[in-house]
Amino acid sequence: MLKRTVPLLLILLAILLPEPLLGQEERASRYYHYRSTEMSTGIYEEFEVKPRSVQNRVESTIGQGRTISRVESEDNRALSRLFLNDAHQGLAFYEQRRCVDCHTQEARNNRHFVRHGITCRQCHGGEPIASSGHFFSRLNPIRQHTHVCAKCHEGAGVSFALYAVHEPTPANTATLASMPVLYYAFWIMIALAAGTFAIFLPHTLLWGIRELFLKKNEVPK
Amino acid sequence: MNNDAGKRIKRFTVSQRLFHLVLMVTFLVQAATGLARMYNETAWGQGLASLFGGFQAALTVHIYVGIFMVCAFVLHILYALATILRKGPGSTLAGPDSVLPRPTDFKQFFQHVGWILGLAKHPPLDRWGYWEKFDYWAVFWGMIVLGATGLLLAYPLASSRYMPGWGLNVAFWVHRIEALLAMGHVFVIHFFIAHLRRSTFPMDRTMFEGSANLHDVQHERPAWYQRLKASGKIDDMVVQEAPLYRRAIYMTVGFAAICAGVYLLVGGLIHATRITW
Repeated sequence: MLKRTVPLLLILLAILLPEPLLGQEERASRYYHYRSTEMSTGIYEEFEVKPRSVQNRVESTIGQGRTISRVESEDNRALSRLFLNDAHQGLAFYEQRRCVDCHTQEARNNRHFVRHGITCRQCHGGEPIASSGHFFSRLNPIRQHTHVCAKCHEGAGVSFALYAVHEPTPANTATLASMPVLYYAFWIMIALAAGTFAIFLPHTLLWGIRELFLKKNEVPK
Repeated sequence: MNNDAGKRIKRFTVSQRLFHLVLMVTFLVQAATGLARMYNETAWGQGLASLFGGFQAALTVHIYVGIFMVCAFVLHILYALATILRKGPGSTLAGPDSVLPRPTDFKQFFQHVGWILGLAKHPPLDRWGYWEKFDYWAVFWGMIVLGATGLLLAYPLASSRYMPGWGLNVAFWVHRIEALLAMGHVFVIHFFIAHLRRSTFPMDRTMFEGSANLHDVQHERPAWYQRLKASGKIDDMVVQEAPLYRRAIYMTVGFAAICAGVYLLVGGLIHATRITW
């Protein structure tokens, strides 16, 4: 009896229980009072929840793997708000403000907003707006292309989502660090254009002036 | 009065004139639709876009006219190759009839600058001046750069399969700067040379009519004229001026293009500070 029921039960379990690989594993932080530790020491963990299988998954390029580290003050994740589940947690008078009151640069440096009138919330979502680096954020590179880009750009892939919607000003030296190809392409093209005009503008203008002094027989009738 | 008045010399074939006309019209459409998109934050840009059916339609026009331009460019290359095969590489790739740059062009450039400054005699130009060769090859450069980046931007889902998405940011800026360079060069320098010089004012009809003013050629391109005279070809090359109605058409088309170009140039410059770059 037992010889038959146990394998049958096991088969039944295998069929009925969800696919274990698709599940997620919760890991407890080794820090007690995680958030206060994070704020005071700058020590943090990347994710509290990680996919069980990391193969074949696109990971955030920002800080891969499960690590505990002490970060430099300028990119202190805990303080920079880039990795919170509510990016605006604790901001005074938050409800009375519009996004662009603070994010002036973000409203200007993207053509989605400037040209097409796409609002912040259409990509960043409603309240609470998760930081784009947070694991559950719709703008996390893991799912950005399907959850955000593909809403309009049907068929958007991971590579497509690498388009910099908030484009850094290509002329700035800071762009050299974030998008070096853009920086160099911009300045090469500017040099080309400036070089062409530097030669041909004065050349043509002076040529026009010189022709005012042509002899009468040199001018066509 | 000399008896050369009204006489002209053959300079461009019908197909060459057609290539120029097609390039002229498509270039102006691309400039207008492109600037309409770029200046969408201003009433000027919105008005420009409304000519083509609005902001979205302007992009559709821009993309399809762009593809048409690339096709015309490929056709021109085939035409050039066919001409080389027909006439032989000797007369088309080498020698003074070729549009390929030669060391003489650099010499003539400096001599011409010397003449402009009153330091040297006018260079004895042959069939093509260095500025004409520059304009001709600039189109090749522009077509390749604008065509390639334009195609990447027109089909972002497909192109991002072969490059990272941020390549589109790069393509956008390369497209924009190259387009501004092309428009600036055509609307200022090319127009000035063909229209505002004393010897061409108010308009050099050569590219439309196919023939150049003989008197002008004798003074500006003596090497070409002497070469034709020495080889005895000059008699076949001299033609009479086109009839008045045709000249009227050439002038109308030419001035329409000038008006469109200068309108875009002035509008673009006036509103340049009112858009988000």
